[in-house]
This record gives sequence, C-alpha cells and structure tokens, in this order.
Amino acid sequence: MAPKSQPNGSAEAPIEVTSTPTIVGINFGNSYASIAVLTKEGAADCIANEDGERQIACAISFHGEETYIGNQAKHQLVKNSQNTITGFRNLLGKKFSEIPPNEISVSAPVIQHPEIPDEPAYKVQVLQAAPIPLPTTASNTPAASHAATPRSEPTPSTRYLTPLEVTSIFLKSLVQSAEDFLGKKINGAVISVPNWFSDAQKAALEKAASDAGIVVLQLLEEAGAVAVTTTTEVWEAEGISQDRTQLIVDLGSSGLELSLLSIRQGLAYTIATLSDHTVGGDYIDNKLIKFFAKEFTKKTKMPLTVAPATEAQDKRAEAKLRLAVEHTKRTLSASPGAATCSVESLKDGLDYTGTINRLRFDMEVRSIYEQVNTKVKELVSSAGLDLHEVDEIVYVGGSASLPGLDETLLLGFSESVVTPFTVGTVVGGGVGDPTTIVARGCAIQALLLAALPESSEEEREVKSAFANGSTWNKAAVTSKTIGLLFPEDNAESELGGQWIPALLRETGVPARRTLRFDVDLGEGEGEKKVAFEVWEAKEGVKTENVKRAPLDDDDEEEEEETKEKIVEKEAFLTALSLVAKEGTKEKGRWRTKVEVQLLLGDNKSLSVTAWEIGKSGRGEAVTASISV
Amino acid sequence: MAHTIDVSVVPPPLKVGWSSPQSTGQTVSPLVERKLIPAGPAYLAHVRRAVHKLTFEEHDKHEESKRLANSNGDGANGDHDYGIGDEEEPEELLSLDPKEWKKQDHYAVLGLSHLRYKASDEQIKIAHRKKVLKHHPDKKAGVAGDSNDDAFFKCIQKAMEVLTNAERRRQFDSVDPFYEDLEEDVPTAGQVKNAKDPNAFFFKAFTPVFEREARFSRKQPVPMLGPFDASKEEVEGFYDFWYNFDSWRSFEYLDKEINEGSDSRDDKRYTEKKNKSERARRKKEDTARLRQFVDLALGVDPRIKRIKQEEKDAREAKKKVKTGGVNGLTQKQQLEEAKKKAEEEAKQKEEEEKVARAEAKKAKAAAANAAKKARRAARGDDA
Repeated sequence: MAPKSQPNGSAEAPIEVTSTPTIVGINFGNSYASIAVLTKEGAADCIANEDGERQIACAISFHGEETYIGNQAKHQLVKNSQNTITGFRNLLGKKFSEIPPNEISVSAPVIQHPEIPDEPAYKVQVLQAAPIPLPTTASNTPAASHAATPRSEPTPSTRYLTPLEVTSIFLKSLVQSAEDFLGKKINGAVISVPNWFSDAQKAALEKAASDAGIVVLQLLEEAGAVAVTTTTEVWEAEGISQDRTQLIVDLGSSGLELSLLSIRQGLAYTIATLSDHTVGGDYIDNKLIKFFAKEFTKKTKMPLTVAPATEAQDKRAEAKLRLAVEHTKRTLSASPGAATCSVESLKDGLDYTGTINRLRFDMEVRSIYEQVNTKVKELVSSAGLDLHEVDEIVYVGGSASLPGLDETLLLGFSESVVTPFTVGTVVGGGVGDPTTIVARGCAIQALLLAALPESSEEEREVKSAFANGSTWNKAAVTSKTIGLLFPEDNAESELGGQWIPALLRETGVPARRTLRFDVDLGEGEGEKKVAFEVWEAKEGVKTENVKRAPLDDDDEEEEEETKEKIVEKEAFLTALSLVAKEGTKEKGRWRTKVEVQLLLGDNKSLSVTAWEIGKSGRGEAVTASISV
Repeated sequence: MAHTIDVSVVPPPLKVGWSSPQSTGQTVSPLVERKLIPAGPAYLAHVRRAVHKLTFEEHDKHEESKRLANSNGDGANGDHDYGIGDEEEPEELLSLDPKEWKKQDHYAVLGLSHLRYKASDEQIKIAHRKKVLKHHPDKKAGVAGDSNDDAFFKCIQKAMEVLTNAERRRQFDSVDPFYEDLEEDVPTAGQVKNAKDPNAFFFKAFTPVFEREARFSRKQPVPMLGPFDASKEEVEGFYDFWYNFDSWRSFEYLDKEINEGSDSRDDKRYTEKKNKSERARRKKEDTARLRQFVDLALGVDPRIKRIKQEEKDAREAKKKVKTGGVNGLTQKQQLEEAKKKAEEEAKQKEEEEKVARAEAKKAKAAAANAAKKARRAARGDDA
C-alpha cells in the first residue's frame, strides 16, 4: 500500500453553521454554583463539569500539592476540613470586622489576614512543589556547587487566601469547564448575585472575575435571571399570561430569598423582597442528619450526637452523614419512593444504611416548610397584596425542588396559581428545574448583551442601561388597571357588562397592548355595532366566610374562608364604537373578530384604537384618545 | 408586529340603547415611580425606545428589518451561509412521512423554498448540513417523547439524494409542486382587456410567467419580455424564440413505480409502457400549454399594435411624400409589403407543416404500436 500522505483526520473541518457568541451564564451561590451555555439551537442549557456535576459545590480544598475544586473538595471536609474552604461567596467584599465571629464553620476558619489590615483570610497548609533538580553535566553528574544539596521533596508551607482570591480561583475553574465543553474560548459571562449584595460586594466579585480573566457582561440579580428565564417563549408556552405577579421562592442551602415581581410583557420589577438566613437547605440537612443519627443509635446501640457534634469522632460522622444526605435529598425530590442513605464506617467501623420516604421526610422538615410559608405570607402582605393576587410561583435552588414545599405553600394560594410543579416542568431537566433556572437566565442575558452593537453614542447608551447604577431602569408605572367594559343587558356582575382587563396596574409606561377577541353580535339582522367603554378600575380580593353544611349530623357547622377577585370601576376614561361589517353567522348568532390596541404614553395620554378583523384583513380603525 | 394577546372571553351583544357616556374629564391615575430589573429583551426594547426616542411602531419596523437581515444571513453573523438563512419549520413539515418521499417538497425540507431551482449545489450542501445538525437522531436522544423518531431526518436524506443528482433534480424541478400551482394561474386576455391600464398590466402579469418558464430552456440565456419601447427586432426575436422553445422539462418523476417484486415481465413492461406514454402525453400537454400562452401573449401584446401603428404611420408619411410626386417609393413599399405577406404566408405554412408532421409522427407511432400489438398477439397465438 502506498504510504498515506496524511494521517487520519484529513477531512476538512466542518463549516461552522451557527455562530452564537461564546458566552456563559454563571449562577454563583454560596454553596453551589452552576454554569449554563447556549446550545447550537440557541437555547440555554445547564452543563455538567468534568466530574459530571451540574450542581458544582462552591468549595476549594488543598491537600498536599493537590488542589481540589467543586464536589471533590466537599469530600475533603471529612478528613481535611482545616484546609477546605466553603461558604466564601458571602464574605466577598466584607471587612474582617463586619463578619460575625460566632458563626460555626465546618471548613477552614476565617482569620484576620496577617498583612492586610481588616481583611478576612483563610489559612491553609499546602506543600510547595520541590524545586527543579540541578542541571546535569554531560557525564550525568551534578555540576559542582558549594551550595547545600536542595531537598528533593516538596516543602510544607502556609498560604493565606482572601475570599476574593478564592472566588477568583473558583470562577476560573467554572469558566474552564465551560470552555472544555464548548471547545472555544469564552468571551463573556453574566454572573448572578443575590439581591442583598452591596455595591462593595459587587465590586469585589467583579474584581475577582476580572482577576480570573473573565469579561463580566453584567452582574445580574438572581430575581432578574429568573425573570429572564420565565419570560422566554418556552416558559410562556405553558399558557401563562404575559402580565402576571410572580413570587420567587429561592431556598438555597444557606438561606431563603423571597422576591415578588411584577412581570408585564417581559418588563419586570421587584415589588418586594425578603431574605432570611435562619431557614435553608442546611437546616433541612440538620434535621435529616439528626433523624438518621437517631436511627443509627437505635440500630447499633452506639450513641451518636450530631448537629451540633461535640466529640471529634461524632464530628467526623456528621461530616460523612452531611455528604450522604445530599444524595438522599435529591432522590426524594426526583422520585416518590423511599430514598436511601448509606454511610460506610459511620462510627467505630459500623456501617449504616437507612431509608426514608417522602411522607416521613415531610414530617421531619414540616417546621421548615412552615417557616417558609410564614415568610411568604409576610412578604406578600408587606407588598399590600393578597396571596390570591399572585399568579405564579417559581422555585429556585436545590432545596426548593422538594415537592413537599410546593404542596405546603399551595394551600394558601388560589387554585389557578401556576408553579413548575403544577405544570410538570420540574422533573427530567424541564424548563422549571429550580437548580438550573438562574444559570440559564444568566446565559440568555449574556447572549442578549453580547449581541448589542456599540458603534454609535446611542447604542453605547443602550448598553450602559444594563450596568450597575444606571438611571434608565427608572420607570413610571400605572397605579390602577385600565380595561374594557362591554355594556350588556341584564348584566350579572355589578359592573354592568363584560370586563376585559387590558393594561394591568403596575404596568410600566410607555405601554402598548393589543387584544384580539371574538364579539357576540346577537341574533338580529341589520347593522351591528361593537361598542365598549374604557374604565380605570380597582382590583382587589374579597374574603368571605361561608358556612359549609356539615357532612355528618354530629359535625359542627364548619366555617370556610372563600376568596374572590373583585373589580370596581372607578373612573370613566373614554368610549369607542365601530360598525361590524365582517360578521359571520354561527349557530344562529352573529360573531366577529375585533382587535383593540391601547397605547399609554409617558405623559399619561391614552389612545385606544379598535378595528375589525375580517377575511380581507384589517377593517377601518376607530380611535379615541385622551390626554392630560 | 406587535404581540397580540388572544382573549378567550366573548363579550356579549351591545346593550340596547347604549350611547357613549358623557366624558367626565377624568384621566389616568397618577403614575408611580419604580425601578425595573435591567434584564431581558423586553427591557432592552424599552431602553431602546427611550434612548432613540422611538414610538412603538418605529421600533417594530426597526426590529422587523433587523430580523429580516438576520434571516437572510448574509454573513452578518460571521459565517457565510450563501444566503440560505433560517426558514421556519411548520408542524406539517416536520411530520412528513419518509415513505411518501415522492410527494414531499424537497426544497422546503432542506429550508431552501425561497431559492428553489435557483439554489446552487454549494447552497444545497450547506443547507443539508445545517438541517442534519439540527435533526440528527443522535440529537434527539434524551428528549422527552419518542426518541426513535427519525422520520424527518430520513426526509432530509431523501431530499438531499434527489437534489444532489443533476438528473433527478431536473426531474423534480420539472414537476416542482410549488410552480405547478402557479402554472394554473396565468393571466387571460379578458383580464388584460378589463384592466385599468392594459399596457402596464400586460407587462406586470406576463413578465413573471415568462421568467418562470425560462428555467426549462435548454438554450440560455432566454430573451425576456422587455420594455414597452422595445424595437421590432427585439419583439420578433422574442416571439421567435418562444415559438421554438426547446424545453428540457420531462415527467419521469410522476412515473408509476414498477413493481420490482412481481416476477411477471409482462407486468413490468406494461407499466413501463404506460409510463412512457404518460410522459409523452404530459410533455405534449406542456408544449401545448406553453404555445397557448405565447399565443395569448402575442395576441394581447401592446407592442405589436404599436409597431403596426408605427409602420402604418410610416406608410402614410411616405404616401404623403408620394402625393408630392415621387412614384418610385410607393412601388418599393408595395414590393416590401408583398414580400412581407409572402413571408408571413410561408411562416404559416411552416407551422401548418409542423403540425402535420407531428400528426404524421403520431399516426406512425400508432401504426407501429398496432403492428407491435399484432405481432405480440401472433406470437401469443404461436405459443
């Protein structure tokens, strides 16, 4: 055979058919981080790192010459906890004096940096790599030297790392994972930050990222990232209104973040937020660990006190259990069956394997669910709203994947409220997966920002609107709902006709809404008219106590609270009527299709335009407008 | 276009005797200041409108033009995709049955329906690669639902098979379903007559048809209808070409499939023969269709009238000159006219002959056929 001129792989490189910019979205939590990139189809997808983990633990561990990052580092907590760093994000940008000293830490303790004043640092023991061996001569003997022969093994030394340096190392590894996955250099990232991050903390995070060589396109608040994900077409395909009030329940491992957002055709703003660091996944872990420790004692007659543990042996057992219950929690979230927890050599060489089912688990953590529930009620009432006025609940964070939490919360809301659980998008990596939602939102946002042009002054101005502290995000919103009222004979409701809300309250101006609907024109022949009044209305929720008839004769009469949405018209704005020419007869009644467009300008000027939609397209438009 | 919200509520008929209430002079309640979250495309649109001081309509237009520029994909995003762009894939396209590949629109499957017969080989190759990257069965693994569903992928492969083979592509182009519908819809003489501006209508209606038909010509380039003030030679050349149109259009694509499974040779031959005659019939119909159309065009072409008028005017002018005294010119003119008449007659004759020839050919073929039949019958008897 003739020798090949080229080895294998001489085929031409495939033509790059899609050209989405290489960007990454990073959800940077205190305990876990996740990364999302854009797939070739242009959708955001959460990717796994080289260990196959989509939820990457925010931990770095130093062991000898090795550095472990991510979930591998978490395992080091058992035997090497003094050299393992966790929970560093929340310390970013804080002074040493600002950090509460009494916090119990399972990882390397936070100390005052020996050189920089008022700067927190982690002290870790590492092995410095051995120096390069001396150059050899031609006869392969060391060159003559008067110096003492250097030691050939690595030398132990102490390293001081500030939270900023730790963050930088960690972010670098995340971006490295994304680059390995895509095979391309990342040229932009959006990183999520919690709502309560101060400007100093944001600046510190930005510095850490730039130290790691990452171009930060934006530091996006977690609620904003959720808003981005939930206003995509995939999400709204579930038949959800584009104008809605959304409650975000972010139950991470170190705390609970609640935000109430108003979403009006993609424009979102925060009505109220609440954060509580006394509930969280760690507390769920504690409950679980206590439960399994009790079971262990019952089984083996070996005393084991955990959370908090005092003895060294118990501490190690607790660390082992803490690692094991992570898996148990995930199994519980994913499947309705029993979940196992197994630990080898939990204490004194005794192994432990136990199971827990959902019911039992929900009983154990009931108090935490209830705590979340009260916080939710607190938040919604602080915003002056009723639970029934919330249209959608979105869950964020690993602990929020637990179905029990959703079940507990749903009891207080109206039946029509939409959650990822009710539409079934949580399991199987659906769009509602609470663990990836923020990262995906960041990736979509990064794509949006990366595509912004910067050639003119105005375009740069647009881009700057996304920066921290920009004034472009100030917007005026309506305080009352504006809607259409179709007057009707023998109207059942107090309004005197059919009410169609068009511009909901809290809609940012300038705003435009186009509604399309069929109108019933009645049975009669002759000229038919469509007419409606435009009103400003007050919406609210009426609570009534209804006495329910007892099921059995012995039962007492039960009182039940029923809630009903009510609308009260307040101010008449204008009226509009048009002649329907394109009506069609269906089952003896005439019908036609009408489109109504409302335009509300900056200066409160409202213009309402209506036209008929016939076979030949748009009919003549009729406009009514009012201005100040 | 603005996003429209479909409301499922059906408002009742208007209240009897309703009249617009008196305006109370009330306006929208005072607005409240809020801080938006700087995220998402809607925020970008909001800021853009504010910064560029655009109204909703202007912004819509801007976005639309940008979207169009993107979908034409002219290298704006780095890679040159030869103007293939991204076509939408409606549900019915994705649910095509690969077994029915003969009925599928190969161009639509590859996302080339805006190019059709104009697509170059390079474009077909890239479009195929694009589609495969998107619809390969390996990509569907792990997606909820039937992950074995590679029907559309098979359709893509079939489309590629047809369009990369020059012969088969011509066969498909000949019966391209997209143009089949258009062929039905040709302008009529009545339409031209009744049009407000018959002149403009003629060019508007006939030019695209000629452009469409030109793709079948073996001789390229094909002369086009041209403007109103085209010279006599141009107009004549145009009609000459189209009366002697040499088309490569063929109808093999519509052949009935020969049943390979059957052992009977007769069966096969029968189908083959049927296919052949069907092809010939279709071809003849097509030729007749084109001829009819050219006849129609010639009949209503305003330029012919114009040329005639011009000639008449020229004659009249000459006559005037003649009355002035010179006789030789008229003679010359008469001579010319006679010559022209003879030419026309010859042309007509030629055409008649042509028809006759075709008729004769057909008769001959029929005779041969009959003879063949007879022979076969005889053979059958012998056996």
